[in-house]
Amino acid sequence: MQAFALIARRHGPLMRVYASRLLGSDGEADDVVQESFLVGWRRLGDLDRPEHVRAWLMRIVSSKAIDRMRLHRSHDDIDDWDPPAPDASSPDRIVEARLQFDAMWLALNRLPAEQQRCWLLREIGGYRYQEIAEGLGLPVSTVRGLLARARQSLLREMEAWR
Amino acid sequence: MNPDHSAPDPELDGHTLAELGEYLDRGRTPYDPSIENSPGCRLALANLTRLAGLSGGLLTRQAEREPDRDALWIAGLLEIIRAEIASGRDVPVAHPDPALRLTLTEAAVRGLVRQAGDTLGGVVMGRCVLDGDVGEPGAVIRLDLSCAVAYGLPIAPTVDWLRERVRAELARHTELVIGAIDVAVDDVYPRGGAADV
Repeated sequence: MQAFALIARRHGPLMRVYASRLLGSDGEADDVVQESFLVGWRRLGDLDRPEHVRAWLMRIVSSKAIDRMRLHRSHDDIDDWDPPAPDASSPDRIVEARLQFDAMWLALNRLPAEQQRCWLLREIGGYRYQEIAEGLGLPVSTVRGLLARARQSLLREMEAWR
Repeated sequence: MNPDHSAPDPELDGHTLAELGEYLDRGRTPYDPSIENSPGCRLALANLTRLAGLSGGLLTRQAEREPDRDALWIAGLLEIIRAEIASGRDVPVAHPDPALRLTLTEAAVRGLVRQAGDTLGGVVMGRCVLDGDVGEPGAVIRLDLSCAVAYGLPIAPTVDWLRERVRAELARHTELVIGAIDVAVDDVYPRGGAADV
């Protein structure tokens, strides 16, 4: 349990941000991370290489978040998609790298929900196109399109930082 | 190969950004000279690579924004996990051979209850507490449950249905004597299509 507490402290915050962006809701994200840790704890034996723990946890979060989305999938109603939280300013937002991340974060938040999800599942969750398609209940061709559009928009927004 | 949504970009020598993204996702294999020899494509690939490189750091940085809040939250989370796993009492299961001692763990029983609720349709289970001496065969156990119900479902009949189902599942898999099943509906979630059917 000590080792697991360490894992939770180390990766919990990232799992939470990830789940929250996927689901568009902080409350649900907390539930999903909690479930993911329970699953992770039970299946800790399946983890063959400890250095993969983060990727492994992110996959669990992805699948748990997808379960949630299935639970109330219909379409991306404005109602069940919390508006992106206003970016909390910190006093030292002067470093360029930070500004770049901020710009990217804002750009990500501006993407339509399905594009965000595809992009997050691919880039953070490490999901393959087929897995994203199954998870979101979309044809693979649609996932391709959404992912391409997400990347295009992000690149466009990031242009200033080249 | 060409996704229907975007026409080839003249700057990309007939390729699309989607194709390039997928090429990158495949680890730039199999080697495609028409991409690798095009300056436009190489520039786009470099940008996509940069974007992918930033994406990991992007969420990590967001995650590091509120360390205090996170520390509290993680502590709470670990408390819940401890309660779920560590406090699992043994629930005896009778066997004709008195020399054999069979038990279920309390966590397994909770798992049955959750499963019964989560697969009902329109219900997402929350808390599940077995109140009573589960180690004593025949002792009456009260269940204390909480759940979220899909918006628009009539709450009272749904809860009755949940109770019935939990009772049936526990009767099937355990020898627990279940008394009252108290259910607190503590949330309502937007109703979806597919999962509720």
